[in-house]
Amino acid sequence: MGNIMSVSFAPECTPAKQEYDDCFNKWYTEKFLKGKSIQNECTEFWDNYITCINANLAKEGIKPMLDKAREDEPFSHEEIKKDLKE
Amino acid sequence: MVLYFESKHSYNYDFETTSLAYLNRYPNPFAKHVLSIDTLDYHIDSQGQLCKTNLIVKQGRLPKFIKPFIGSANLKSWIIEKIIINPKSKSMITYTSNIDHHKFIRVEEMLKYREKDNNNTTEVLSKVKFSSNLFGFKRKIEQWSHERFKLNYNNTKDGLTYVMNKLKQRRRGMMVVE
Repeated sequence: MGNIMSVSFAPECTPAKQEYDDCFNKWYTEKFLKGKSIQNECTEFWDNYITCINANLAKEGIKPMLDKAREDEPFSHEEIKKDLKE
Repeated sequence: MVLYFESKHSYNYDFETTSLAYLNRYPNPFAKHVLSIDTLDYHIDSQGQLCKTNLIVKQGRLPKFIKPFIGSANLKSWIIEKIIINPKSKSMITYTSNIDHHKFIRVEEMLKYREKDNNNTTEVLSKVKFSSNLFGFKRKIEQWSHERFKLNYNNTKDGLTYVMNKLKQRRRGMMVVE
């Protein structure tokens, strides 16, 4: 958003990311927040984008650590749960 | 020892603008160290909340006193972000943590956004935890990281405000076109 472009960590995924982001932002404000849609929309753009991301992530050394971090459920950690209640 | 940083701030924007700006906060001129942001997953849970996982890459920095041990003072850092947005209560919680360099420092940030009743204001509470595992330097690194976070805190707020103003201008522009 703004004049500078939001880019993907993998440059070849940036065009697909921007198409997805535009669709997501529109869906988020016009439908999701207004309670008009609880369906995942933008699936066509999403499929292209995530396929590109997954192919590029597989080449990165960070992948095993990232997979571990993705499994983590921070909002159910005791310390964070306590903070959320306050 | 582990260090914490806590703060509270209010933005003069409704939840829609604030949360949309948060989701689109990079890039902005106040966060030049951020190289990229990607979405890894998004879905709606059984309570109708939007759950989003992001991957952010930042150009990290190391303190000078650690340089002799690691070699380079510049490094790339991968960050995971988990976001839950509740459209009914107009609230958003986020958790952000670096994935790599945990031995050196782990910075975990938790944010709670919520719209204040009927007054176009969105409040954010933040809590950040700094923990290092580097033997002999633990305390020094935590203090350094905590200090840097404090110094950058205004940039974080200015960055989000910048994106909110851009959104407002864009909406005005769209109304003129329509």
